[in-house]
Amino acid sequence: MDEEPERTKRWEGGYERTWEVLKEDESGSLKATVEDILFKDKRKRVFENYGQVRLGMMRHLFVVIDTSRTMEDQDLKPNRLTSTLKLMEYFVDEYFDQNPISQIGIIITKNKRAEKLTDLAGEFSPRRITAVWLLKHFSDSFCAGSSISHGWPRLKQSVSNRHMPGHTSREVLVIFSSLTTCDPSNIYDLIKTLKGLKIRVSVIGLSAEVRVCTILTRETGGTYHVILDETHFRELLTFHVKPPPASSSSECSLIRMGFPQHAIASVSDQDSKPSFSMSHLDNSSGPGLTLGGYYCPQCRAKYTELPVECKVCGLTLVSAPHLARSFHHLFPMDAFQEMPLEEFEGERFCEACQGELKDKSVFICSVCSSAFCVECDLFIHDTLHCCPSCIHSQSTS
Amino acid sequence: MLVYFPYDYIYPEQYSYMQELKRTLDAKGHGVLEMPSGTGKTISLLSLIVAYQRAYPLEVTKLIYCSRTVPEIEKVVEELRKLMEFYAKETGETNKLLALALSSRKNLCVHPEVSSLRFGKEVDGKCHSLTASYIRAQRHSNPSQPICHFFEILHANIVVYSYHYLLDPKIADLVSKELAKKSVVVFDEAHNIDNVCIDSMSVNLTRRTLDRSQANVETLQNTIQRIKEIDAAKLKEEYRRLVEGLKEANVARETDIYLSNPVLPDEILQEAVPGSIRTAEHFVGFMKRLLEYLKSRLRVQHVVQESSPQFLKDIYEKVCIDRKPLRFCAERLRSLLRTLEITDIADFSPITLISHFATLVSTYSKGFTIIIEPFEDKTPTIANPVLHFSCMDPSIAIKPVFERFQSVIITSGTLSPLDIYPRILDFRPVTMSSFTMTLARTCLCPLIVGRGNDQVAISSKFETREDFAVIRNYGNLLLELSGIVPDGIVAFFTSYIYMENIVASWYEQGILENIQRNKLIFIETPDAAETSMALEKYQEACENGRGAILLSVARGKVSEGIDFVHHYGRAVIMFGVPYVYTQSRILKARLEYLRDQFQIRENDFLTFDAMRHAAQCVGRAIRGKTDYGLMIFADKRYARADKRGKLPRWIQEHISDGSLNLTIDETVQLSKHFLRQMAQPFRREDQLGLSLLTLDQLQSEETLQRIAQIAQQV
Repeated sequence: MDEEPERTKRWEGGYERTWEVLKEDESGSLKATVEDILFKDKRKRVFENYGQVRLGMMRHLFVVIDTSRTMEDQDLKPNRLTSTLKLMEYFVDEYFDQNPISQIGIIITKNKRAEKLTDLAGEFSPRRITAVWLLKHFSDSFCAGSSISHGWPRLKQSVSNRHMPGHTSREVLVIFSSLTTCDPSNIYDLIKTLKGLKIRVSVIGLSAEVRVCTILTRETGGTYHVILDETHFRELLTFHVKPPPASSSSECSLIRMGFPQHAIASVSDQDSKPSFSMSHLDNSSGPGLTLGGYYCPQCRAKYTELPVECKVCGLTLVSAPHLARSFHHLFPMDAFQEMPLEEFEGERFCEACQGELKDKSVFICSVCSSAFCVECDLFIHDTLHCCPSCIHSQSTS
Repeated sequence: MLVYFPYDYIYPEQYSYMQELKRTLDAKGHGVLEMPSGTGKTISLLSLIVAYQRAYPLEVTKLIYCSRTVPEIEKVVEELRKLMEFYAKETGETNKLLALALSSRKNLCVHPEVSSLRFGKEVDGKCHSLTASYIRAQRHSNPSQPICHFFEILHANIVVYSYHYLLDPKIADLVSKELAKKSVVVFDEAHNIDNVCIDSMSVNLTRRTLDRSQANVETLQNTIQRIKEIDAAKLKEEYRRLVEGLKEANVARETDIYLSNPVLPDEILQEAVPGSIRTAEHFVGFMKRLLEYLKSRLRVQHVVQESSPQFLKDIYEKVCIDRKPLRFCAERLRSLLRTLEITDIADFSPITLISHFATLVSTYSKGFTIIIEPFEDKTPTIANPVLHFSCMDPSIAIKPVFERFQSVIITSGTLSPLDIYPRILDFRPVTMSSFTMTLARTCLCPLIVGRGNDQVAISSKFETREDFAVIRNYGNLLLELSGIVPDGIVAFFTSYIYMENIVASWYEQGILENIQRNKLIFIETPDAAETSMALEKYQEACENGRGAILLSVARGKVSEGIDFVHHYGRAVIMFGVPYVYTQSRILKARLEYLRDQFQIRENDFLTFDAMRHAAQCVGRAIRGKTDYGLMIFADKRYARADKRGKLPRWIQEHISDGSLNLTIDETVQLSKHFLRQMAQPFRREDQLGLSLLTLDQLQSEETLQRIAQIAQQV
């Protein structure tokens, strides 16, 4: 594998105190406290989900990625940009996994300008894949542009130009690496506009807390976090995978949805004729003629993938499993009860991973009272959304 | 004793502070207390002393709270108001406390009632200029009844005003002389109190002053002439009064009503004004002679330094002016101005200055020095003669305060090392304590940068300050930090000249250009209007996310009075150690005096002075517990124990061995880490029990033990 030629040598890079991560806590209470706070935060995420909250399940999310010069910084390995891209791939996958009926778009900012890489699009749209690919490709060519980033005007334009139904949540997630923004007009006016449009802006800062972001997120009801390291970055992104609570002012409406049947046609069938999928008409890179597919129940337009918004009649086409996947956010699992390890009686093995319980606390399912370790607790709540031992007992009974 | 505290939570150090304060009051002594800024000194002071007044109304009758600037005074009044409301709510009775804040007319005269009052007083001719201004922050007094200003001071339980009202003999005489003995005097932000004392007793005369006083004398003469023609009886009346002497004043002092005026020592009061200056014409003639003499003294080609006795001898030989009439000069002039009913005192300020000088020089033989410089050091070719009559002993001005009042509290965020203040102010405190900040997270990060990346030691030492490598390294430090610190950075230099040199050099090397890519740059100048403009734009740039750097000067306006809360100051960089300009003759004389009189070595005093200013500068960034900021000391010399040991304890305890003598990239790495840690969400719950206490927590045994460790007795 060949090295990138322009990469600086190891000894030319920044001075790092790598051993400090490993250091046992002796003198500074700082590390312990902060970690404690982080641990609480981790748990908080699980807790926050309770209660019957209205969630904005049909999300329209724009991710704004700052690609200014500061992205070259090597404090994330190998540098901020590459690391961000890697995590973005994970994020997009995760996002569609958890929110199948939502859409995502990507905007990059650099050199005092913002470019829209992809417009809002649903899952598995080849354009999404291209976007990430494009971004990767793009990363080679980006360079010493001025460290000023601003995506707001562009973003505002593209969000407001699109007509969006009132029941959907409009969100923006900014990955903000630089410490400065440069705006043609007063940024506080913009914040007001965003607030007026009910766009929720969240920011993940890669370097430090910037005042204007604090205000931006506070005003628009988003969250503001600054990463500590890559793991923390990933955690923060995961945090944004879950749909946010819908604002009470967003309208409730019934949405027409189509559930097209997948028609499988074999070549032997006389009636079947190969046809183009509507979603692939505008780009040549997609697959060409196919036999089977999903046909819109309203206008019989054909699509190879779901979910999608029908190009002809505008109907949202989904399949039942998609809805079900989104559904679990509405009925989240109860949080497990935390209990100090000393007080826990019974076998000291995690019900899920069968590993020994070593942490200072264990987590008990309130229904079946099985014990889990922290990691499994998080996994169950974040990914499985159901307690394995509960299901186990259900199936046996 | 029950103390009402108007907030739900209390910081442990506030509790500890109150304990120390109470101890001081109990002992009826003086105290020196250091507590970091932003931990609520003011409210602790107020709530304890007010409670004390209520509990022992006979022991403490009055609180005199002296602060430095108008915004600070306003803050105090605001806190006081909160406290009063809380009292009213808790006790359910309308309270009998009367609080009064005094400031200059310029600041307070917006009230129509007040301004009309002031006018009335001007007509009255009694309280000429300084006394007339006030606001009334009192709650209970009957507003319909017009009350005399002095009357209020006598009866107010709390008086809030500026230092000068108590220290400056010229003003103190008018405002503060009737304050009761059983008062508690608090000097807040008192780290510079010795300089205030010295300033209030020093006089600088330039040729311009002399010229203008010449004009004054002429006006006086004309006025006298005129009055004589119209109303000769008036002058006669004055003459008669002067013959009787200042008997009245003497009586008053003996009955212990007045705060003794240091300008007017006891002996003067027992004597009548000497005959040679009793009549108005004679006095004017006398002043003329004095002026001529001073003018001749200013026509020097070389620097002259002499003591007051030498000066007196010389003036006697040259123009036959005796010591005695000189001493009465100030008193006589005031009396004359009063008789002539001159309303615009400001016009006569030069002549008043001269008269003060005359009185001071003839009164004190020790602790003062006269230096006549024919030109400034910077511009040796331009003749600009100045006569400095400088006080070298701050204890002279503050002595009456210590003697008169039963408790004097000196407090500030930066008073370290504590023991030097009692020495230079010449008093014996009963308590001297330094408090630290209890923090749920380490929100300050002092780093001492000693080397550049090229391992060249960086220092603003005289020998190396012109060194190219040092300047470049300073530039690199600022450049690197501008890339990682969000929003505002404040950088302090040791002097304007040094800043100019460095910035010019950075410009040539292209460092400035690189910095400007990250942040905007603003510069403090000696011009106040320019500076406040720069400051405003700086804050705007921090506010809207562009980020900015403010280059300013230690001992300047910015370093003394401007707070950089939160995003306005995420990092403070101190380039070099801010020593005073050691070649100044006044300073040299003062150092010599300190060595002879108080056994303080020159070097000790210089270091002390430099470090208190450095601490003052870096302390600008942290203004509370939720705030955070980097404090970067960019000089190798800070790592030495003698410098480090003189920083306030609350900064010192966060300097670990690992943060001494860092290189620039180590600094960057540590700062990055720190900033990220600090950016994590921080809620009130995290503080509770650690740095915030409820009443229940305060009563627990364990907490009390912890609190006991906060105060460090010296």
